[in-house]
Amino acid sequence: MSSSRLEILNDGGLRHDARRPYELRSTSFALSTQSNAEGSSTVTQGLTTIAVSVYGPREPRSRANASHDRAVISVEVGVVPWAQGGGGGMKRTRGDKRLQEIGAAIRQTFEPVIMTHLYPRSEIAIHVQVLSADGGILPTSINATTLALISAGISLTDYVTSISIGLHLTQPLLDLSQPEESDLPSLVVASLPSSGKITLAQMETRLHVDRFQEMMDLGVEACKVLKDEMEGVVKEKTRKIVERMDVRGVAVEEQ
Amino acid sequence: MFSVSTVPPTSTQTFVDDFPSSTSHRKHQSESDAMAMDVDMDDEFGAGPSKRAIVTPGEVITSSKEYMRGHGTYVEETSVVSSVTGTIERVNKLISVKPVRSKYVPEVGDLVIGRIVEVGPQRWRVDANGRQDAVLMLSSVNLPGGVQRRKIESDALKMREFLAEGDLLVAEVQAFFGDGAMSLHTRSLKYGKLRNGQLLVVPPQLIRRLKSHFHHIPPPCGPTGVDIILGLNGYVWVSAGTTQEKREGGDGFDAEGVYSDKNDDITPEGRQAVSLISNIIKLVASEGIPLTETLIGEAYNWVQQQGHGVEAHGPLDTRDGERMLAEVAGVDISA
Amino acid sequence: MVREVDPPSIQKEFLLQALAEGKRLDGRITLEQREVNFVFGEELGCVECRLGKTAVLAQVSASIVKPRDDRPYEGFLLINSEIGPMASSVYESGRSSDDEILITRLLEKSIRRTEAIDREALCILAGEKVWQLRLTLHFLSDSGNLLDCASLAAMAALKHFRKPEVEVIGDEVIIHSPDERAPVPLAIHHTPLCLTFAYYENLPPILDPTHLESTLCSGTLTLTLNAQREICVLSKAGGTPLAASEIMGVVNVGVDRVREMVKHLEEALERDREGRVVEVR
Repeated sequence: MSSSRLEILNDGGLRHDARRPYELRSTSFALSTQSNAEGSSTVTQGLTTIAVSVYGPREPRSRANASHDRAVISVEVGVVPWAQGGGGGMKRTRGDKRLQEIGAAIRQTFEPVIMTHLYPRSEIAIHVQVLSADGGILPTSINATTLALISAGISLTDYVTSISIGLHLTQPLLDLSQPEESDLPSLVVASLPSSGKITLAQMETRLHVDRFQEMMDLGVEACKVLKDEMEGVVKEKTRKIVERMDVRGVAVEEQ
Repeated sequence: MFSVSTVPPTSTQTFVDDFPSSTSHRKHQSESDAMAMDVDMDDEFGAGPSKRAIVTPGEVITSSKEYMRGHGTYVEETSVVSSVTGTIERVNKLISVKPVRSKYVPEVGDLVIGRIVEVGPQRWRVDANGRQDAVLMLSSVNLPGGVQRRKIESDALKMREFLAEGDLLVAEVQAFFGDGAMSLHTRSLKYGKLRNGQLLVVPPQLIRRLKSHFHHIPPPCGPTGVDIILGLNGYVWVSAGTTQEKREGGDGFDAEGVYSDKNDDITPEGRQAVSLISNIIKLVASEGIPLTETLIGEAYNWVQQQGHGVEAHGPLDTRDGERMLAEVAGVDISA
Repeated sequence: MVREVDPPSIQKEFLLQALAEGKRLDGRITLEQREVNFVFGEELGCVECRLGKTAVLAQVSASIVKPRDDRPYEGFLLINSEIGPMASSVYESGRSSDDEILITRLLEKSIRRTEAIDREALCILAGEKVWQLRLTLHFLSDSGNLLDCASLAAMAALKHFRKPEVEVIGDEVIIHSPDERAPVPLAIHHTPLCLTFAYYENLPPILDPTHLESTLCSGTLTLTLNAQREICVLSKAGGTPLAASEIMGVVNVGVDRVREMVKHLEEALERDREGRVVEVR
């Protein structure tokens, strides 16, 4: 709200980081980045980096939480003190309401997507760690959680991908960075790319109803692009693992 | 409708570098993959291991109604859709997807290594790397001395003397409870408490179901050789070697000592041999190569043959590790 | 948090069956809200809002404090909204559950972040003295949909409240007691109100779920709208995935509904104003 000096969109139609309105930030997806979790991933979108580890399905840590017919999902979100830059200008602790809200949003997003009935009486623990923050913590966390769950081999009905959409005057912008996020009305959409259905939509700033539909449609479209990007990485990684599994596999079969 | 574009990944991960970054191209590719799949169904489908098709969650495997869904898939309307990332397996009309990485899925008869987490009434709870803790009933263990009789109250009171929290044991999956938890048994002289070695944790997919999971690498690998137990749950036990007779209750088998907490005296050479084998296993597993007795044996021989160039008993350094994998397993990890 | 005992599965089946026929257990139709009642307190800025059997009491008070150094012209609006065991036995005092945080955060977002109150109008003397408003919400009884009820109560209380008139002469500030001069109402930009919809698999959405309906639903969507056709907050945190058109559908329903609610609120305030002596002779 304060940095009104920022020019959101210049005369040439470029944003402050030289992107076009519908251009996403550079992304990198890495799977199985942590060896002692069942599944993990590190996702970078622009200058936001988030690491997610998934443990389980495993015996629930507290038996009171167990459910007899499905797995329970627990999500914990943490931010490293240096993530925000500037010597930890925003201090966030474990009990922070904002982080708990993000955690609850991630849990509720994945509850219908994970096939929890396959894992009765167990627990799936998702740990999200924000390593550097430059806008879009929630969408990047959701993308990273999808990849971590995939690398853990947990059954999902589909990918869940997420993106933020802003609105400058009448021009929607995709994938907002921190300065844009604080200046513009923004919407976060998470969708299931194959059906195009929306599982999470969050908006916190005033926006006219008529503009809303356009932004939402754009977000769903962008989610599909992200999914293609992620699927490429997942397949490439899987192909390598499958290749390795066949190393000397023939020799064993002959014995 | 919209044109959404992405910046090509600038990542340092090697596995994304060689991938085309144009989205339109990729989309087309995956679509044509799916189409090829439908065609493939009819003829030779999933024949050779190298030809196996890879699917990810949400991907339609076939839209034909003829097929039944197996593990790792679900049905949406009439299509069979994958729910995990892995390779398609087909048995007649049953289609399943085998995930490349997942939690250990037990089967009756599997050999597992576990750790006691709780001593309860008439039973131990065992962490065996599964979805839920496994259960070892008091009635499913052998008593010290090998006596065969009904377990009585005094045995129940002595449970913690047999196996206490934190103890490791090797056991076999006996059955499943109604909720899917596995029930173990150790009613064989091969099974029971573990000592004289160290535990390694590897992805369970790397251990195949074989006739035997007990392996022995004979001397000169340490004065008494090295024993390896490959638990199907991904737990691997590497210990100082014993003789065949001692292991299976022949001469010199200490029937009273099966629940002993004390390690035998192990010579420094024996310890070096154990750690060398452990290092080989860790290295092979970290590269995602399935563990077999022959592979471990050959890797050990390779290290021996290197003579002066390689520290024969200490940890393998990176270069030696790369060479070993290249020459023994034929895998080039330097790239 | 104490976990609530799940309702019996037969009750769930009954409810879903009724919904499939377009009926709800309390006789409403799918997009009908429960009856809204306002009870205005003795003092200005004290309002109890009842939505069916759900009740929330909102109270506004004002004090004078020093503003923040970086925002010398802005007053404060604090929102206190802890849900205690009075509302329902599942809430514990001192510890907040996920639901509770969601309610608190959404209220905060829809009232504070949408700038419903003109905070610059709370300034008395730049950099020295500003009004600090404290909005305290007491959750009296939880029979489902606490959030909508709380947002109604909060906006009603803010509209009902009047702050004492102040006079600035040079550097001196004179606060006139209500007996001397009539207190002045707050400057309110717009009236954001929350609407909560509950979803069930393959069934049309319902508005204003009761407690039972919200425990059995597969996802909720909360909208905060104002009478100017603006979406202030939209929150659909997971739950059943919806198509974009379905979301637009409830947004459009919400727009009309909020306009009616604002009208109802204004009428209630008007009635109260008629029966109340605020002016000083």
